Amino acid sequence: MSPRVIAANLIVSIKSFYRETTAVFFRIAFPVLLILVFGTIFMNQDNVRFDFFVQDLDQTDMSAELIRTLDLSENFTIIPVDPALDASQYAKDNKLNLVVVIPKGYKHSLIRRMTRNDLDDPVTVTYIYDPSSTAVDTKMQILNVVFAEINQTISDTPAFITSEKSSILDRDYRFIDFFVPGIIAMTVMTASLLGAVNVNAELRQKGVIKKLSTTPITHTDWILSNVLYQVLLSVISTASILLVSYTVFNVRLQLNLWLPIFVVLDVFAFVGIGMILTRVAKEAESAAAAANAIMFPMMFLSGTFFPVEMMPGFLQTFSRILPLYYVNEGLRASMIFTDNMLAMNYAVIVGIFAAIMFVLGLITTKWEEE
Amino acid sequence: MTKEAEHAIAVETLTKLYGDLTAVNDISFTVRQGEVFAFLGPNGAGKTTTVEIIETIRTPTSGKVSLLGMDVTKKKHDIVRRIGVLPQGFSSFDRITVRETLQYYARLFGCGNTDIDGLIELANLQDKTNEQFKNLSGGLKQRLGIAIALVNNPDVVFLDEPTTGLDPRARRQVWDVLLGLRKKGKTVFLTTHYIEEAELLADTVAIIDKGSIVAIGSPAELIESNADYLVLKLQSVDESVFELVRKTGFEPVRTDPHNITVQVGGPDDIRTILVAIKDAGALFLSLDVCKPNLEEVFLKLTGAALRDGCAEEVIS
Repeated sequence: MSPRVIAANLIVSIKSFYRETTAVFFRIAFPVLLILVFGTIFMNQDNVRFDFFVQDLDQTDMSAELIRTLDLSENFTIIPVDPALDASQYAKDNKLNLVVVIPKGYKHSLIRRMTRNDLDDPVTVTYIYDPSSTAVDTKMQILNVVFAEINQTISDTPAFITSEKSSILDRDYRFIDFFVPGIIAMTVMTASLLGAVNVNAELRQKGVIKKLSTTPITHTDWILSNVLYQVLLSVISTASILLVSYTVFNVRLQLNLWLPIFVVLDVFAFVGIGMILTRVAKEAESAAAAANAIMFPMMFLSGTFFPVEMMPGFLQTFSRILPLYYVNEGLRASMIFTDNMLAMNYAVIVGIFAAIMFVLGLITTKWEEE
Repeated sequence: MTKEAEHAIAVETLTKLYGDLTAVNDISFTVRQGEVFAFLGPNGAGKTTTVEIIETIRTPTSGKVSLLGMDVTKKKHDIVRRIGVLPQGFSSFDRITVRETLQYYARLFGCGNTDIDGLIELANLQDKTNEQFKNLSGGLKQRLGIAIALVNNPDVVFLDEPTTGLDPRARRQVWDVLLGLRKKGKTVFLTTHYIEEAELLADTVAIIDKGSIVAIGSPAELIESNADYLVLKLQSVDESVFELVRKTGFEPVRTDPHNITVQVGGPDDIRTILVAIKDAGALFLSLDVCKPNLEEVFLKLTGAALRDGCAEEVIS
């Protein structure tokens, strides 16, 4: 290993990087933009409001009172539907995912229940809904909760089971706090993998590697230079992501030694995979395509953008064989839960994987021609 | 002094197979210290395979190759420090300037005291020192490649097709740089498919065709030993001259409407032709007698002419 050669490579890599604006954009600005866009979306999700279409066929003071109650629940913006219209047709024509119909006779039934305690005359509120809509289930669940509360109030008995929230965390965390570690892990992965593929496949195709193989530079020098360069850029992009996250979204993440450990392991693992791909794929283009084929499932299935628990069981099992899952979980264990034991467990798993990939990458990287 | 050390390069019965294809077939040759040695042949003749085996990039199937007395299959580490290589289709880091690229390669060799300015001057790149590699023309890239091949002050310089794809002007500029190398007394191993390049620059030319060396020697020796005839060139506006020459039993070739060339054995043949023209009262404007050139030797030895690196079968 020659520090002089590694330094020479680093100088060339860094100059090449900052002289190429697209590289700077994808490496630094793109993850920052992701944080800004998704952060803004998630910030609003904390107090999201649904448009809520109600058709009041009863048109009485009591049915109006029910609508007012719904309006108070904060989650809904009430939009009345003309009682003369056919609600199903109206929903279809306007592509609405839910119209709630308060039946005629609502007041009459309510009075019977209140004054004579007549249990035989319940009221049925109809949900006219579009089952293909993803948001409709949430709306109906919220409605059911509101109706359950109303039912309980009418029956005038105190609730038997009540609930209270007790967070396992010291402070309240929002979705953005979950999201930031995922973006750090993903950015380091994509940059390391594509960086290794680009450097090796492109330079090999151009003949630069052939020229280098007639100089005293060794494989170890070359690969260590690439890894150091990727670590350096990962530190810069991680710092930019954190800076934006703290200043714009006021995240409450803990920064400790685990962050650099996971970043470095992430780099080694994916530079290793990149080197293997470069060897397997003959052309630079096919190596890049193979890198994408690895990256995309990893991005979406290892809990970068949303928790793995939201996925079906078999996908959850699958996600547990993805190395990025352990980087994500490890970063969250350290940055959100400050659980050192858990972080260490994940670091060991990622470390073993990184070591295997990197050694395989070293073995498969070959400069000599057949 | 050992046999190998007398020679910069010694190749003995070298063979390289790619599956069923024989790229290099049992070739042997030596390159003297300080000479410019040219490997001349069409594309696919085995030039690059041979040179890359000597440069330690490829491994031979059989045979022995030594460079400065060192076995190329065993002493890669020592050999790379003593050679300079311009690979075929040379390329470098796109966004790194001429000067930075030279500094980079000098650092790889640990040559802190490399005279970068001297190399820039040798390659005539003084106006381009701060230009990024991607902005250089083909000729400038090749000249930079040659300068890079010299950063470690190598004992042997390998130049694999240094002028392929360049226009005639750029090619001449590269030749000027190569002539500068020759003056410095460097051992240069040049591969080319340009006959005039080999003829102009090389002390020794090896003609390689289909993996085998078909002739080797200085350009003059190759011509002398392979061309036992003279070429008579006649310029004439008289249409009858062509027919008159043919009637004397020779085979004239019309190279353009007013020029005829004839292959003749010696002065007696020339006299026979001139007497026939004079007796018929025909006229010619000029005559020239010359030895055949390397191109004609190449044609005779390989049965093919070289056009842009491709061997074209000659229909006789």
